Amino acid sequence: MAGENAAWQLEELVDSLVVELDKTRETLAVKAINKPLSYTVKDLALELNIFPSYDGDQVKFVTAQPGQQGASKVSIQLGSITDQQVRATTKAPTGKQDLNIDQIDVDTRTKRQLRKLGVKSVEDLQQIQKKNVDLEKVSESTIDYKRLANQIQKSRRNETPPRVRSVSLSRNENQAPQLVLRGENLAMDRSFKPVAVINETLAEVTACNDRELTVALGAEHQLAQENELVLTFDPFAVMKINVRI
Amino acid sequence: MLDEAFLPFAEIVRHLCLVGEPISDASAGVSSVIEECSVELPVELDVTRDADGRLQIGSAPPLYYVDTTFRPSFHRLKLRARLGGDDDGG
Repeated sequence: MAGENAAWQLEELVDSLVVELDKTRETLAVKAINKPLSYTVKDLALELNIFPSYDGDQVKFVTAQPGQQGASKVSIQLGSITDQQVRATTKAPTGKQDLNIDQIDVDTRTKRQLRKLGVKSVEDLQQIQKKNVDLEKVSESTIDYKRLANQIQKSRRNETPPRVRSVSLSRNENQAPQLVLRGENLAMDRSFKPVAVINETLAEVTACNDRELTVALGAEHQLAQENELVLTFDPFAVMKINVRI
Repeated sequence: MLDEAFLPFAEIVRHLCLVGEPISDASAGVSSVIEECSVELPVELDVTRDADGRLQIGSAPPLYYVDTTFRPSFHRLKLRARLGGDDDGG
C-alpha cells in the first residue's frame, strides 16, 4: 500500500507528466534505431480522482487513495504538437542575463502578484514597461514598483559584483598623487559617479569605467602605512579596501 | 520515494507503447501492421515528492482482481500510440 499522496498544483503535475513522457519518447527513439517498427505516444489523457483545496492563495489537489470516497474528477489531456507550434506558443527560455522573479529579494506577496500577471522574469517586466502599460492600474495591486525596480537593480548588481584586481599609487600629469584601481565591473552605472572615502575623508574620483577607477589624493587624506578606502561604485555596490603603502 | 508496487509513469507509458510485431502470412504473402492503438485503462497512482521536492508520479494497473474492503481509487488513463517517427512532433 502506498503512503500518503503528496498535495500538488496542476502546473507541477503537468510538468511531471511531461518529464515522464519525454523519458518515454527518448527511450522509444533509442529503440527505433534498431527496430524500425516502433510506436510513439500520440496523445495521452488522465482522468484523476482528486480532492481539491484552496488556501486563499493556491488551489492544490491530493490524488484520491484507496477507500477514499467523494473525490472530484479532473481530466488532463496531453497532445503532441510540432516544434513550430512550440515556438509559436512558448516564450523563449530565460536567458543568462535575465533574472527570474525568484532571484529578486522582494516579499512573497509581490512575487505572487507578479506571477498572476504572467510576469516570471525581469525581462517580462521590461516587456510590459516597453508597451507603456501601467501595471499598478491594470493589476489594482499594491506592488511597490519603485522598490521592485531597486531590488531588480540590486539583484542584477549581485550577479556582476565589482572585483578589484590591483591598486597602485601613481602621479597624474600634474604630478599630483592618485590611486588607480583596476579590476572588473567597477563603475557600471553611467548615471552614478562613484564616491571614494580615504581614511574617513572624501576623495575625488577623477576617472572611472568598468575596468579602471582613479582617485585623486591630497594632504587631507593623511596617508599612512595602512589606509582605509571605501568605494561606492553605485547604490548597490559598496566596497571597503585596506590599502597598504 | 515511490512505493515499490508502482512503476514510474514513464515506464507504464513505455509498456503501453509496445504494441507488437507485424502480423505476417508468408503463404499468402501479406503482412499487416497496427498503425494506431488506443488504450484506456484504470490505474492506481502514487504521487510523492523526491528529496528535491519534485513531484514523482508512480502508477500501476489494478493490483487486485478481487473485491477488497477498501476499494482502490482507480484513475483513468487513455493513451493513443501511433506507428512511426516524429512526423508531427509526437
